Amino acid sequence: MTIVVGFAPDGRGRAVLHLAAMLARSADDDLVVGAVVPQPWPPSPARVDAEYQAYLDATANSALEQARARLPADVRATYAVHHARSAPAGLLELAEQHDASVVVTGSSAAGGAGHVSLGSVTSRLLHSSPVPVAIAPRGFRARQDARVRRVTAAFGGAAGDLVVAAAGVAARVGASLRLASFAVRSRAPLTAGVGTGPERAVIEQWTREIEAAGRVALDEVEHLPVTPAALQAVVGHGETWDEALEDVEWEDGDVLVVGSSSTGPVARVFLGSRASKIVRHSPVPVVVVPRGAAAELAEEAVAGTA
Amino acid sequence: MASLREQILRRKPVTVMSEETGADTEGGELKRTISLFQLATFGIGATIGTGIFIVFSAAVPEAGPSVVFSFVFAGVVAGLTAICYAELASAVPVSGSSYSYAYATLGEGIAMVVAACLLLEYGVSAAAVAVGWSQYLNEAFDNLFGFTIPENLSNAPEQDGILNLPAVILIALCTALLIRGASESAKVNAIMVLIKIGVLVLFIVVGVSGWDSDNLSDFTPFGVDGIEAAAGIIFFSYIGLDAVSTAGEEVHNPRRNLPLAILIALFTVTTLYVLVAIVAVAAQPVGEFEGQEAGLSAILENVVDSTWPATVIAIGAVISIFSVTLVVIYGQTRILFAMSRDGMIPPFFHRLNPRTLTPVPATLVVAVVISLLAGVLPIDFLAEMTSIGTLVAFLIVSVGVIVLRRRAPDLPRGFKVPGYPVTPILSILGCFWIIKDLRAVTIYVFFGWAAVALLWYFFYGRHHALLGTAQAQAEAVP
Repeated sequence: MTIVVGFAPDGRGRAVLHLAAMLARSADDDLVVGAVVPQPWPPSPARVDAEYQAYLDATANSALEQARARLPADVRATYAVHHARSAPAGLLELAEQHDASVVVTGSSAAGGAGHVSLGSVTSRLLHSSPVPVAIAPRGFRARQDARVRRVTAAFGGAAGDLVVAAAGVAARVGASLRLASFAVRSRAPLTAGVGTGPERAVIEQWTREIEAAGRVALDEVEHLPVTPAALQAVVGHGETWDEALEDVEWEDGDVLVVGSSSTGPVARVFLGSRASKIVRHSPVPVVVVPRGAAAELAEEAVAGTA
Repeated sequence: MASLREQILRRKPVTVMSEETGADTEGGELKRTISLFQLATFGIGATIGTGIFIVFSAAVPEAGPSVVFSFVFAGVVAGLTAICYAELASAVPVSGSSYSYAYATLGEGIAMVVAACLLLEYGVSAAAVAVGWSQYLNEAFDNLFGFTIPENLSNAPEQDGILNLPAVILIALCTALLIRGASESAKVNAIMVLIKIGVLVLFIVVGVSGWDSDNLSDFTPFGVDGIEAAAGIIFFSYIGLDAVSTAGEEVHNPRRNLPLAILIALFTVTTLYVLVAIVAVAAQPVGEFEGQEAGLSAILENVVDSTWPATVIAIGAVISIFSVTLVVIYGQTRILFAMSRDGMIPPFFHRLNPRTLTPVPATLVVAVVISLLAGVLPIDFLAEMTSIGTLVAFLIVSVGVIVLRRRAPDLPRGFKVPGYPVTPILSILGCFWIIKDLRAVTIYVFFGWAAVALLWYFFYGRHHALLGTAQAQAEAVP
């Protein structure tokens, strides 16, 4: 298995390399750092754009040189300039060629530092990738020898493939597993005349239910052939998604895993409204796992072959 | 097994209550962030918009131009009850509806009756305002686009229609929002307050040009009885003033600010209502009010040559009634949630959707019931049922203040009723006064409804109440 890294030909994107190196080190996988450049279009024998293409290739190659210089020495990596219709399509082609387990991308420059924000390439990738997509927060930095220490799975109450898949991966990379649920409620409308009590009771009831569901899910994880180093379940409360995500403590080496919505096509990643909010407000790298990939990973985890 | 008497009188211990809702645990402590001005705005926002847009067609035929006095009378009673409510709310360190306060102070049986009243105050009033919404929507459509929804589909069967479709649609929209977890933010509330006040001021300013003293010549055609009868219907338009009391634990200096906010809100609202009422009754003869739909818009249309003021008012009403309906349905689902957690109604009502954190089954049930009421019942009956429900709830609250003062004089209270015992007694008398003049059918239906609630309690609630099972377990242990 390999890890495909999308590296923009303009050379921006240290965060992507930091995340890719951390993932590669943890999973003991090879990196394929890819720079995607546009295909010649229209494909004409006259080659009127030969100089332009040469320029693009040169830029991509120099970007890959930068990447080579920046990647820590202990990570095995190959570099490829890939021609494709579009950047997302190119990355997915690379992923298929190299049998990638995950595609790593960065956040758009439009977002705030320290948070994940989805640029156009990543958004497209999220809608069409059959393999998990890892997204680095803007300005993400990891230490030279950083590894994934804890996998946090966003937990919506239903024990399913995602939890088992995350447990399997966590066990494989020697990390612990944490289930995180988020309760986001704005304050109760006072004009309703029922005060704030009932709304707090609603949250309390929900917390009780989600904690019970979390215990059931963790129970299932404990019966796997190989289990993660430690198991934990947390609930983050807040009036906004930002507050709720900050309510849960985060450390170096944390990765947040989010499943794709059950309403999208089975094989592809499609973020539901909650998942996309969790992704956007995450202070740590996020791995979005399509349902099909989650099912495969879960099977491997149950079989103990991972 | 506890005796029936014990069951009816058992009270939910306050400590249990605040633990359960997390009031004492993490994140439960609310910051005192609400200022006097904000609180008064909440009160105004919660009050205006429920009734004033729709009560004229029902109230003026009862009292004639003296409906102005009915507004003052209903306002005074509403203010007295709100002040009593504030004391009860401040004595129980938990933030909830009057059902929660009654359960903690007056016992399970009374709490059940209060809950039955609240179903009227919330559920039925949501239906009533939805019917009003349908009228204003029709008015806005007519003026803007020149068409109206067919009579059959915008009237209750009693008014020769089949179904009040816009009202049903409004409730469906609100339900969809609530299921998704939407709630009205302070900002939206502030905007709504401005829209509502703006609409009423526009009505007063434009409507006064249609002043015709002849309309006022026979000022009290039905005497004091008429004024009282109209006050019963109008009381409906003061519902919401009590919302101020439930914010007690979040207010700076509640001892000073709670009563002040209630008074400021009451004064503002009553002044606006009285001015609107004077302008309305001076603008057209009493006979024209009966059966008039989208009252405020229709009156303006009659007195000025252009249609734009009526259109603006109709649009303002459509927007603000929408927000009121949303908030009222929200309140109803949360009251049912609290009751369900206490075991008074089946657990079905506190089932949550884990993703949206909303009680979806309860919301759907509430929506279906309110839709049925709004779809098939006429507005004046709905308004009166709401009034009687609210009045009885406040009557009980006012009695509760006196009971609690005698039974637990030392209980710390964040706010005490000024002029005790005169204030609660006046409040009780005021409620009775208004109730006695409601139509007989309303009172019969109310008694029927209360009987249903008590039967429910007798056969279900008292056996399933968690309080009872907890006590039974405690007794069985040794």
